Amino acid sequence: MGVLMDVRDLTVRFYTQEGTVYAVNNVSYTLNEGETLGIVGESGSGKSVHALAIMGLIPTPPGKIESGEVYFEGRNLVGLSNEQMRLVRGKEIAMIFQDPMTSLNPVLTIGTQITESLKLHEGMNTAQANKRAAELLDLVGIPDAHKRLKDYPHQFSGGMRQRVMIAIGLSCNPKLLIADEPTTALDVTIQAQILELVKSLKKEFNMAIIWITHDLGVVAELADTIQVMYAGSIVERGPTKVVFQDPRNAYTLGLMRSLPRMDGTRTRLTQIEGSPPDMRIPPKGDPFASRNPYATERCFEERPPLKPVEGSDPNHLAAAWYDLRAILKKERENV
Amino acid sequence: MSVAVAHPEKRKNLENSDVILSVRGLKKHFPINSGFLIQRQVGAVRAVDGISFDIYRGETLGLVGESGCGKSTAGRTILQLYKPTEGHVFFEGQDLAMLGPNAMRQMRRQMQIIFQDPFASLNPRMTVGNIISEPLAIHGLYPDKRERQEYVESLMQKVGLNPYFINRYPHEFSGGQRQRIGIARALALNPKFIVCDEPISALDVSIQAQVVNLLEDLQSELGLTYLFIAHDLSMVRHICDRVAVMYLGKIVEMGPTDEVYDNPLHPYTQALLSAVPVPDPASKESRQRIIISGDLPSPARPPLGCNFNTRCPVVFEYCYHEPDPEFIEATPRHFVACHRVTEV
Ligand SMILES: Nc1ncnc2c1ncn2[C@@H]1O[C@H](COP(=O)(O)OP(=O)(O)O)[C@@H](O)[C@H]1O
Ligand SMILES: Nc1ncnc2c1ncn2[C@@H]1O[C@H](COP(=O)(O)OP(=O)(O)O)[C@@H](O)[C@H]1O
Ligand SMILES: [Mg+2]
Ligand SMILES: [Mg+2]
Repeated sequence: MGVLMDVRDLTVRFYTQEGTVYAVNNVSYTLNEGETLGIVGESGSGKSVHALAIMGLIPTPPGKIESGEVYFEGRNLVGLSNEQMRLVRGKEIAMIFQDPMTSLNPVLTIGTQITESLKLHEGMNTAQANKRAAELLDLVGIPDAHKRLKDYPHQFSGGMRQRVMIAIGLSCNPKLLIADEPTTALDVTIQAQILELVKSLKKEFNMAIIWITHDLGVVAELADTIQVMYAGSIVERGPTKVVFQDPRNAYTLGLMRSLPRMDGTRTRLTQIEGSPPDMRIPPKGDPFASRNPYATERCFEERPPLKPVEGSDPNHLAAAWYDLRAILKKERENV
Repeated sequence: MSVAVAHPEKRKNLENSDVILSVRGLKKHFPINSGFLIQRQVGAVRAVDGISFDIYRGETLGLVGESGCGKSTAGRTILQLYKPTEGHVFFEGQDLAMLGPNAMRQMRRQMQIIFQDPFASLNPRMTVGNIISEPLAIHGLYPDKRERQEYVESLMQKVGLNPYFINRYPHEFSGGQRQRIGIARALALNPKFIVCDEPISALDVSIQAQVVNLLEDLQSELGLTYLFIAHDLSMVRHICDRVAVMYLGKIVEMGPTDEVYDNPLHPYTQALLSAVPVPDPASKESRQRIIISGDLPSPARPPLGCNFNTRCPVVFEYCYHEPDPEFIEATPRHFVACHRVTEV
């Protein structure tokens, strides 16, 4: 599998009246063709902004890509003109959002909105585009697809609108689909439908997926690779199974421990103390240090680099000055 | 997960608890009106359509189901924030519908509610101190200013807020802290029963555990009884002693939490539980998922026969006919309303 996208040192800030927001700080990673990357982290940790930066959709001002490159199939997307990015969006990379209503035009029929991109990117005529649009709606599980092309967004339920967005996203066979919390507003029953759909489409289209969520369960289910973000930085990343079994960053561990157990044993939840960080304070040291019971002095002074984890999978990276594995081992021995 | 730490398991002993609250045949229908000058009712949203259950003192009863199934309406109608269309709510044996305005005011002190959205439910122009003490003012309690402030400070302490912040405004607090303000306010009148309407849904994962632990601590300290409304089924398993599953205004299954989770009888409960993503990549291959197709039907036009017949994976002929399936005790303390279970 070749590298599809190479994000290097991406840094995004917002210059607002309340101060500078350090939204994304030196984010670097690579994404392979066909890989599913799950990104987790609490709200405000820079997940959406990082995705918008890839798509060239950062509102400027107040936002600005301070530094970094996004190589997509070898071509740097940062700095491309709006015209050039419009061709990338939809054709190469598609994005779906938590609230489909924000990206669907309420006064145009669903059919018009799907066929528009087919005509723009694929050069289809109206009849071809209509046929393909109906096929796509059918593919994402919308009953009576042909009839529903004439309906407006508000005539669809939340789950169905998200399917429509996926259909639009898929319309031009993108190599990468970025999904930003697409199921967060949906019920688990509807989320399960969408997850099944995405799994089957992924196989069929062999596209890479970046799935942004705050639900570790969704990541466990869907992602080949998990990437944990905190305060605008990647704090841990690796093959999903490996990271779940052997987390090396204290925030990752905290997230996992704070979840209730599904087997019915009712032990008190292990909570993460404190509040999420204020993103207007320039990062100094490890941003999680003040909430981290294992923090060392160094954590408050110097930012830990994201580097390969000793004694784990070669693709497992973590940012930590402390040795979480050793700490946990000691904890277990003392119990 | 290999990273879980060992804690002594806590279980409540509710064997000898008495019933604190009874709900009988409760319905709440919202009229659908049409017409401009002369409004006329053309239909009704059957948000809550006949629910009955008991809540025992000191327990946490979970109420789960998809959004729009009537959970919030049930919670509010139980507290008489909405006037029931039909049915009765008994609190410590007293029929709330029979109480006069004065007696009802006294009764309200016993029953409080915590809302989902800590951002929307707090008045942005009031200080934290005033928000928490508002119920005291309404009920004329702690008339002495000093004593009231001391009491509010003690409440803040109790929910983990620094009393130093008593004169700050809600926007100066994070989501988790705002939810603590909402909890302190609910506790101000020393209630016995609290409806928690999705109290953690709007919070970050790392904050949810803080609030759940706080609710559990307060329960054991103050002997509170909770109706815990939620859609996060794994948190419900953690916090609730019993759980009731709601679908389209009706309760389709109810029982001790472990019993319902380990041995769900209603096809809807089975689908709902199997839809929960499990945060364990190792278990993903072995799982059998039941996908139910389609969406929740409109409560203004519920299907004829069993409410679930439009999505049920095991529907049969009989389910399309009246009457609705009866709510029966299938195994001790485990209730279900499904023709499959009753007939087969
Ligand atoms: N348009 C904007 N103007 C100012 N600040 C913004 C803007 N968009 C995002 N931010 C800030 O950037 C930070 C990262 O936000 P975001 O990427 O949306 O977080 P999340 O991880 O929840 O998706 C947050 O502090 C957010 O408030
Ligand atoms: N004040 C109201 N007027 C009319 N319909 C309402 C009102 N409140 C709720 N409903 C409707 O009642 C049904 C149940 O809503 P709700 O109790 O909020 O469900 P839940 O809390 O389970 O999501 C929904 O169809 C909703 O639209
Ligand atoms: Mg976001
Ligand atoms: Mg609700």
